[in-house]
Amino acid sequence: MRYIAPVLVGRAVRAVTRARGGGSALPGYIVNKMAPGFIKNVVAQFEYGVVFVLGSNGKSTTTHMLTEVLRGHGLTVFTNPSGANLPQGISSALLSEVSVTAKLKADIGILEVDEAFALELSKTLLPSTILMLNVQVDQLYRFFETEVVADMMLDTAAVATKHVISNRDDAYLSKIGEILTKKAAVVPDVTYFGASAKLVADSAHGLFNAANHREEASTAPLDALAELESWDSTGARIRVGGELADIALPAKGLHYGIDAAAALATAAQLLGTEFDLAKASAAFSSMTPAYGRGELLDFGDEKVEFVMFKNAASLQLNLDALPAAPEQVMVAIDEGTPDVSWLYDIDFVQLDHVDVLTGAKAWQFALRLEHEGIPVGTIEPDLKKAIELMRALPAPATGHKTWVVNYEQMMLARKIIGYGDMEVSF
Amino acid sequence: MSSSSAQSVSILELYPDHLEASGERGNVTALRARLERAGHRVDVVQHTIGRRVPKDADIVVIGNGPISAVRAVHADLIENADALRSLADDGVPFFAVGAGAELLGGGITLADGTVLDGVGIFPFSARRGVPRQVGYIVVESAHGTVVGFEDNASEWNLEAGAVPLGVVTSGGGNGNGREGVISGSSVATQTKGPVLPLNPSLSDAIIRAALERRDVAYAPSTAHAELDRLAAKSREVIVANVKSVFTTI
Ligand SMILES: [Zn+2]
Repeated sequence: MRYIAPVLVGRAVRAVTRARGGGSALPGYIVNKMAPGFIKNVVAQFEYGVVFVLGSNGKSTTTHMLTEVLRGHGLTVFTNPSGANLPQGISSALLSEVSVTAKLKADIGILEVDEAFALELSKTLLPSTILMLNVQVDQLYRFFETEVVADMMLDTAAVATKHVISNRDDAYLSKIGEILTKKAAVVPDVTYFGASAKLVADSAHGLFNAANHREEASTAPLDALAELESWDSTGARIRVGGELADIALPAKGLHYGIDAAAALATAAQLLGTEFDLAKASAAFSSMTPAYGRGELLDFGDEKVEFVMFKNAASLQLNLDALPAAPEQVMVAIDEGTPDVSWLYDIDFVQLDHVDVLTGAKAWQFALRLEHEGIPVGTIEPDLKKAIELMRALPAPATGHKTWVVNYEQMMLARKIIGYGDMEVSF
Repeated sequence: MSSSSAQSVSILELYPDHLEASGERGNVTALRARLERAGHRVDVVQHTIGRRVPKDADIVVIGNGPISAVRAVHADLIENADALRSLADDGVPFFAVGAGAELLGGGITLADGTVLDGVGIFPFSARRGVPRQVGYIVVESAHGTVVGFEDNASEWNLEAGAVPLGVVTSGGGNGNGREGVISGSSVATQTKGPVLPLNPSLSDAIIRAALERRDVAYAPSTAHAELDRLAAKSREVIVANVKSVFTTI
């Protein structure tokens, strides 16, 4: 009964902050202060333990996929909302689910976790399984060097008690097997996922994973339990063990296919003999698009497709996944992306023009495009006005407009066109 | 005899696989765009580990990278030190950023005290492990106001009589109110990433120095107007947001 008070206080604060339209971090913070053992007590109730999903890109998408696959197998899954991957966001999410006696009816917790907090959070959340997606050049203004991020993930993986699932095709993460066998302590099993060599070779810009300058590439090829063989606009073909499955993807692109392989490999390890590829495929078929990844939202009589990016890898791979140069394009980028140096690493061959460029960093984006000779219609730093300019364009033949947006501009744009609910549910 | 007719200009890009970790490829992109819009043909020669640095180049460009990348290229750089110094002695302008610039200086003292020797083209040495500076930076220089993004934990100590690129008005730079170092027409800077696209007058200074060596004239024209307009607008926003950019994180 000792958690009744903090839970009630947390809920009260949550109600107030939501009513004010504020963020969801504060209530979790207050509960942590009042009852440090609260979260430990809650997660100890998960029969299948806690899974951390780590990576520079694809955390939200993969968490979503894994959650749905496990639900498809009849499990009750607790998960954090897309992007709520900082400590307070995670405890807020737990808080909204538990009863006043700190009971949580779930079989497993699947949590996307920010790399910088993963090791610290593992002390409270005691993850039995770690899934590592990729190490890509990401937020250098925060992490300074990419190998710092790699070590955050690799060090966290070492605390897993049961399973580590890692990317066979990532120059840093593929080292986890070697790293763990060198440690004397109890070693979790290590399983890999990946994309077929042909698929990687055929991709215009590869996988966009970070180069590893500190270690030699492994000479012995690693086996992948789940391997992406092909993808197209409707889905992906993935080999899991000896079995082939054609699955629907919630968003199109090579990286989403790889995320699906990661989710399948993890589900197979977690469920063991209970894993059923047919059930997993069915779960993919009914999956809704993740927030800002291939969603089509209503915009008057037309539709808007959001293409969200947060770094070079996500922008390049999302551009590469476009079937053709989009007919009507808005790009929105603001100071939520503090350092845009990487724009000069992007190949913009997939864009033949941009109609409207908006956000505080619109001029820097336009300057980049001018170096490639890609014409820009109007630069309008104010997002509201930019959206009206897009609305004024004649209806596109494809029926939808394409908005390439960073996270902050996506949230604002959704609000402006009437999708303002900050609480994300799948 | 001065010639303004189309010329082929070669840019030597050092270690693109290792030392362009923060978008420094954009510096080559900017030089190429400005040269091509002035009617010149541009050949970019990439020097990677195991090759020989060519005897001729009009401009040499190097970028930034992590210490693991610095270590990876170090032996090759020392192998090619004489060739690089001879280009510098011939007056070929270098544009060097971050860790790459440090390798072209007197050396790098790492946080653990070990020293990586440099090739001595720029008159300074670097000391790593000082408090990190991250964010927009603004520098008043002989080539006008230089703006960009910095991200370093490195203090640059200039040799006696060496001239910095400029005076820091916002940001960290070398750690003593100055930023970068110049040597003849060569520029080394801590302002990382694609600093040249944002700073057309700095780009033009390097291009002019390169072409004057060959007695070729260079002047930006209406073909450069849109590049310059967008750079000016970008710079305005950076200067306006220089203090506030990190409040959103
Ligand atoms: Zn259009």
